[in-house]
Amino acid sequence: MTATTTRVRPERKAVVQGSGRMKKPPGLPWILPALVLSVGLIYYGIGYTGYISTLNWDGLSPGAEHVGAHNYTRIFHDPVFWDAVRHTLVFFVVTFVIQTILGLAFAVILHAKLRLAAIYKVIVFVPVVLAPAIMAPVFRHMFAPDGELNAVLRHVGLGGLAQPWIGQTSTALPVIMFITIWEWTGVTFVLYYAAMTQVDPSVLEAARMDGAGNMRTLVSIIWPDLRGTTVALAMLGAIGALKTFDVPYLVTIGGPNYATEFLGTYIYRMTIPLSHVGYGAALSIILLVVALIMALALQFAGRERKGR
Amino acid sequence: MRSLSSLKSLSVLVAATLAVTGLAACGGGSDKSSDASTATSGTVNWWGWTPTDTATANGYIAEFNKKYPDIKVNYKLVNISDWVAALRPALASGKGPDVFDMQPGAYVTQFKSFAEDQTPLAEQALGAGWKDKIAPIGISGLTADGKLTAMSVGSVYAGMLWINGDIFKKYNLKPPTTLSEWQHVCQVLKQNKVGCFVQGAAQEGFDQDTLQSIANSVQPGLWTKVSTGDAKWTDPGIVKTFQIWKQLFDSGIMQEGAVGYQQYPDANNDFLTGKYGMVMMGTWYTQYATGKAMTAALSAAGVSGAKPFPILPIAFPDVAGAGNTSEMYGDADFGLAISTKSQSKAAAETFVKWMATSTEGQQAIADQLNDLPSVKGVTPNFDQIQLVDAASQKGPVQDLITKAASITEPRESLLSSDVQNGILAAATSVATGKASPEDATKTLQQAAEAAGVTFK
Repeated sequence: MTATTTRVRPERKAVVQGSGRMKKPPGLPWILPALVLSVGLIYYGIGYTGYISTLNWDGLSPGAEHVGAHNYTRIFHDPVFWDAVRHTLVFFVVTFVIQTILGLAFAVILHAKLRLAAIYKVIVFVPVVLAPAIMAPVFRHMFAPDGELNAVLRHVGLGGLAQPWIGQTSTALPVIMFITIWEWTGVTFVLYYAAMTQVDPSVLEAARMDGAGNMRTLVSIIWPDLRGTTVALAMLGAIGALKTFDVPYLVTIGGPNYATEFLGTYIYRMTIPLSHVGYGAALSIILLVVALIMALALQFAGRERKGR
Repeated sequence: MRSLSSLKSLSVLVAATLAVTGLAACGGGSDKSSDASTATSGTVNWWGWTPTDTATANGYIAEFNKKYPDIKVNYKLVNISDWVAALRPALASGKGPDVFDMQPGAYVTQFKSFAEDQTPLAEQALGAGWKDKIAPIGISGLTADGKLTAMSVGSVYAGMLWINGDIFKKYNLKPPTTLSEWQHVCQVLKQNKVGCFVQGAAQEGFDQDTLQSIANSVQPGLWTKVSTGDAKWTDPGIVKTFQIWKQLFDSGIMQEGAVGYQQYPDANNDFLTGKYGMVMMGTWYTQYATGKAMTAALSAAGVSGAKPFPILPIAFPDVAGAGNTSEMYGDADFGLAISTKSQSKAAAETFVKWMATSTEGQQAIADQLNDLPSVKGVTPNFDQIQLVDAASQKGPVQDLITKAASITEPRESLLSSDVQNGILAAATSVATGKASPEDATKTLQQAAEAAGVTFK
């Protein structure tokens, strides 16, 4: 690796010194295709969405009306928007905490010398690769009033707990969170499992010699070493929560009575079925801004601790 | 050096090509003036949410192909909940259907700019007096800005319930005519571990049907008045309507978790698989009175080898107890619109003309019992239609069709998407106890005003 680096550097220097014309940085042509695609597709898209957000438009008619910031002021008085924000926050906190606990637990357990460990790893990770579109009907059936969950509850004498899980506002959001946790704990597990392999064995050995038990070692030695992974998972979880669409749309369509409405489902509802494309674009811009702020804040929090 | 320069040039070329092809892609689909078909040959892509099973649509197409064997019609069934999401980009891109279903109300508003004016086609097929030959309900709702956006193929009417004849017979039950009788039926069925009434209360269109029926029981015609702005959604009659709606949930008539149910596929599948004894569906459900359509529907619902059972239409009970017979209401179920961007317009016109105006096409529509034909004088040929149990079904089904022919009260054609969304929000918030009927109707009134409805 080192040898390669030292061989490349003099060549680059020679090119720069070779002629006046070639002194210009040669990077632009190399990144131009990617730049065109990136600017053309992503940043142009963002810019165009920003423009649409100032319109009162159904997305098809030729006569779009300019309304300035009216869509944004409407959003801040829209109770469904605030419901969606609240659901996103609750969803992030609950799914992140539970996935972290479960992922960490699975990683610790599977670092012990278990028989058939490889099979357990596969079992934990399989939900990650299953498409939500495939699993949604299964969960709809499982949580239906006459579904498997209620059947099991009745069978074990807990029929009093049986209820229409996705058909009432009090339990619909927990069901969505349960499905998400089931789906994504595998990723948390894999990242923690990999991070744990980087913990210095001599430190663990020293802790043992100092009399630390399993829990003490986990809390005081391993967990602090996993901080970088936890911050990365928090960032991914936060952005994932903001982008949440597939599971609530496929399982509950954002209902009942907006009980599982997220920013993603609300943007879709306003833009497609209700044809308020300008309003949906304004919601999208707000989502983008919140995602950027959240990502920067989490990254900043991670760096700040690193600097201490 | 030369190679670096070449690479640089290549990169610029690639970038320029990407940009140009991107722009070309953006501009694609604008030139759609050519027609690859003739009046007797070509390929027509037809998208629809109804007929709700492809077997019925293919039955129409098979009849059509007897006369026009060189026109290939491909039917694509799109679930009604995905209809707008699927059709908007398809039509806008120019890669969508040649012919698509159109329904009065919100769909006409949204898609009228993509539909050819079919007035000339109607005149060509039925003559100058074409309006007198078609059910009026199939013209007014499909006309917008002076343009006939679609030719009505058939009409549908709602405002009745369908019951499972076998279940009612087994438990010796009579169709309920009042709210208390309805509760009694549900009690008996529940005691026998059979579901009573199933509704997909998460879908606005079907909540509207039940609410409109309740409103017609409270005060006939009131629902139409508030839909047109002649009365407000806060009218005491509408508040009473929502109170009765809430009673349906509280008294155990509605199934548990109804607000998390979709009418299609959840409620439909549950009724057709015999889990429930009653469902709120319209005349389009008449098709399942036949053994063939019900067997196909059972198969689509994932039930293999199930035995078809007789379904029977009954009047919506007088839930308000005011002595009003709850009247039915209806719209053109679907007209067939021809896309302005179609490249097979000639063949598409032939297909639409055959379906909507020819005796053969309309007879095929009538005999499928999915729609009531739009051309006057065409009626189902019950000698050829095989009902599951003709003895019990033939009378009620014929009565339903006769009664529907005189209905003029609109179903959804007066409501915009925003108002429909407001009705759904009001219905689910009342059902879940999040809002009182009074508060929900106030919010609904505000939503209707915000949507541009002018109230007197």
